[in-house]
Amino acid sequence: MVDWLRRLLCIAAVLTMSTSAYAESEPIGYVKTHAGAAFVVTGGETLEAFPGLSLHESDHIRTGEDGQLGLTLLDNTVMSVGPNADLVLEEYLFRPGEGDLGLGVRLLRGTLQFISGVIAKLRPEAVKVRTTTGTIGVRGTRFLVRAED
Amino acid sequence: MTELRGYPRARRLAAALAGCLALAGCAPKSWVVLLPNEDGSTGRIIVTGPGGEAEVARAGQAATLDTSVPKTFDASEQQIQETFGGALAAQPALPTVFRLYFELGGTQLTPESVALLPSVLNEVAGRPGADISIVGHTDTAGRAADNEALGLERATFVRDRIVEAGLRLDRISTESHGEGNPLVPTADDVSEPRNRRVEIVVR
Repeated sequence: MVDWLRRLLCIAAVLTMSTSAYAESEPIGYVKTHAGAAFVVTGGETLEAFPGLSLHESDHIRTGEDGQLGLTLLDNTVMSVGPNADLVLEEYLFRPGEGDLGLGVRLLRGTLQFISGVIAKLRPEAVKVRTTTGTIGVRGTRFLVRAED
Repeated sequence: MTELRGYPRARRLAAALAGCLALAGCAPKSWVVLLPNEDGSTGRIIVTGPGGEAEVARAGQAATLDTSVPKTFDASEQQIQETFGGALAAQPALPTVFRLYFELGGTQLTPESVALLPSVLNEVAGRPGADISIVGHTDTAGRAADNEALGLERATFVRDRIVEAGLRLDRISTESHGEGNPLVPTADDVSEPRNRRVEIVVR
C-alpha cells in the first residue's frame, strides 16, 4: 500500500516537472520589429530585442526614451509599444483543440497598440488588457492604450 | 537677462495650457482609443475602472483610464498621432494566410499551387524574424488514421520547401488536422479537392 502510494507520488512529481519544463520551453510569440532601446526581460535576464527573438509567458517588454518594439503571438494577436513602455505578457493559453484559451497583458507604463487575433475571435471574454487603473475587455478589434501615473 | 528669457517661456506655457483647455478632448494621462480594423470594420471594447465601466464602439472614440468611472470622449487625429506615433510606427506586418492544394492521395501540389509557392517563400523572406504555422488537411476519402498521417506528410512537404529557402526550423510549427477540419464539409469517403490542402500562416 505504502509502496503504491510512493510510486504514485513519484509519477505525479515527474509529470508535474515535465509539464512545467514544457511550458517554459514553448514560445508564445516572437519579436518582429524594434527601434532604439528595446528589450525583452525573461526569467531575470534582459535581452536586447531582435526580429525572431522568442517570447514567453510572464516576459516583460521594455523600451527606453527612443524605443519601439512590435511583436506577434501564435494566435495572430499583434502588439506594438512606443517609448518608455513596460508591458507584461501575464497570461497566454492557446490550445484551440482542447478549448484552452486566454490572453492577459498588463501595460505598466507607456503606449500600446493592440490588434486582436484568434483567441479574441473564439472567446472574446478570455482577452484582457490591464493598466494599473483600469481593464479593457476586447471584442475583436484594434485599439491604442496609454498608461502614465 | 534671466527674467527676459524666462518671460516668453512662461507665455508659451500659458498659451499651450489655454490651447489644451480650449480643446474639448484635452487627453488625460491614461486613456484608450478605438481604431478601425485593417478591413475597415470597427470592433468594440469595454473599459472598466474601480467605480464602473464604459463601452467604446466607434473609431476615434476614447475613454479615460485614470478616473474611477471611465469617461468617453472623442480623440482627434492629432492627439492620436502625438501620443501613439511610436507604437503605431512599430506595428509589424499583419499575419498572412496561404492555402496550397494537393492532388488526390499524396504530396503532389496542384499546378496552381506549385505556381503560388514562390509567393509564400517571398512573404517569408520579406519578414524579418518570420515564424510560420503549417497545418495539413485531407478530404474524407479513405481511413481517418491514414488521413491524419497524410495531412502531416503534406505539412512536412511544405515545411521542407520553406526550410530549403533558408528559414530557421525552430520558428516553424507543423501539424496535421487530418480529415477533421475540412474547408468544405462533406460526408465520409468523399474526394473533395478543396479539402486536400495545407494552410500556412506567415507571421
